[in-house]
Amino acid sequence: MSASLEAACDLRIGQVGVGTLKLQRFDLAAIKAEMTTKVQTAPQLLRRAPVIVDLNTFSDLPDVAAVGELLDTLREAGVLPVGLTYGSSAVEALSVELGLPLFSRFRANYEPASPAAQPEPAKTTAAAAADPAPASAPPAQRSESAAPAAGFRLSLHEGHVRSGQQIYARGQDLTILGNVGPGAEVIADGNIHIYGSLRGRALAGAGGEQRARVFCREFRAELVAVAGNYRVLDDAPVELHGKALQVRLDGERLLFDPLS
Amino acid sequence: MSEVIVVTSGKGGVGKTTSSASIAMGLARRGHKVVVIDFDVGLRNLDLIMGCERRVVYDFVNVINGEASLRQALIKDKRQENLSILAASQTRDKDALTQEGVERVLNELRADFDYIVCDSPAGIEKGAHLAMYFADRAVVVVNPEVSSVRDSDRVLGLLASKTRRVEQGEGKIQEHLLLTRYNPKRVADGDMMSLKDVEEILGIQVLGVIPESEEVLQSSNSGNPVILDLDSPAGQAYDDAVARLLGESRPLRFLEVGKKGLFQRLFGG
Repeated sequence: MSASLEAACDLRIGQVGVGTLKLQRFDLAAIKAEMTTKVQTAPQLLRRAPVIVDLNTFSDLPDVAAVGELLDTLREAGVLPVGLTYGSSAVEALSVELGLPLFSRFRANYEPASPAAQPEPAKTTAAAAADPAPASAPPAQRSESAAPAAGFRLSLHEGHVRSGQQIYARGQDLTILGNVGPGAEVIADGNIHIYGSLRGRALAGAGGEQRARVFCREFRAELVAVAGNYRVLDDAPVELHGKALQVRLDGERLLFDPLS
Repeated sequence: MSEVIVVTSGKGGVGKTTSSASIAMGLARRGHKVVVIDFDVGLRNLDLIMGCERRVVYDFVNVINGEASLRQALIKDKRQENLSILAASQTRDKDALTQEGVERVLNELRADFDYIVCDSPAGIEKGAHLAMYFADRAVVVVNPEVSSVRDSDRVLGLLASKTRRVEQGEGKIQEHLLLTRYNPKRVADGDMMSLKDVEEILGIQVLGVIPESEEVLQSSNSGNPVILDLDSPAGQAYDDAVARLLGESRPLRFLEVGKKGLFQRLFGG
């Protein structure tokens, strides 16, 4: 392959999955403990994974020093904070002082919670493809999508998705007519329908949509996620194996329902 | 109309070169003009399996660099005169292959041969990429074990996206799966993945199943492709596979644990 035919760099926007970390209470010790556990549970997915910190829960924003400490805490826990989510002008001011970018993708999540936020565990959202693809892996394919005038888009992949392939259906559902092989990854902002076996990873609701679901004919997945709530299926219950089922989110728990 | 067939796998040591040699020999024995090319520059092996290691003067890289003509580099098989071998260079590395060079050599070969069998190196880097890039068909060699199956899945993905036919919109290349080192006894004991498991995971049917057998190693060491040993199960299985490659329909054999006959049991055969 002659190198001269290829561009020296390739700029893409909005195609990589980045986790967002929505803080429920500003308790550094608890955050560190929870994040450390998460990273240890799925080191391949989360170690050194980029995360965007969402501070919009707090009506009274912590000051620059406190947020600086928070970022250090997260780094110690094993993830790499890369920015803040878009929010009030105070968040913007904070981001400028910290020299961090603001990310404005998940606006749906910005409704401020009640000041007395429940002590829920911090959660990572949209951890799609958090582990960087090896250099030789093919770039994430956009599945064929048609965008006619009505703004209606659909995304259908005919054939098997092989190990190392990655398909992302942005802002829509994804339908796969074939198997998703071990080590393959299918991601959609909406639902994922697989008319075949799922042996790789499926991440539905990658943009934070909690109602998204994963459906498949034969469940043998390595990992499934809905809106960033993932489960590695190393310990998958035997009764799920090979079954037709759907995966959906109930609160922060993934439910696996057989499709009769 | 000549066809380029790549024999590939991703994983090393699964039997690509053994299979390339037997497929090339099998096609030639059916009367086709065949050339088999070793793409494993730097780790040349095909010449050994074909038994022509002492006849290599010029190699694939020499031809690409214009240091020798194809006619000088092609080695005619002594057993089968319509079969030629193009050896890899042992002193160079995969960077010696260029896309333009490979394309030029393949085009030249297409004029003279019915089948061009490309023996791919392991991996998915440059050598393997160039071996598969110009293919019309692919034989993916897989062993009945999980790592080989996953690597084959990856290679099948590359075949579906990183070949000239696909890039130029000429349609998919034809994919065949060749299951080698199959040991029915170990499958029955549950130690080895079954044919059904492999076909299910990869979602394609096999072209052939080659039983694990001692003759393969003996043949390789003596420089005779195992397909020439039609008394051995592996040789017969390769012969079946080549027949299927040419469109014949033959039932799969050697999938069951061999049952010894009464006489064999009595006389310890």
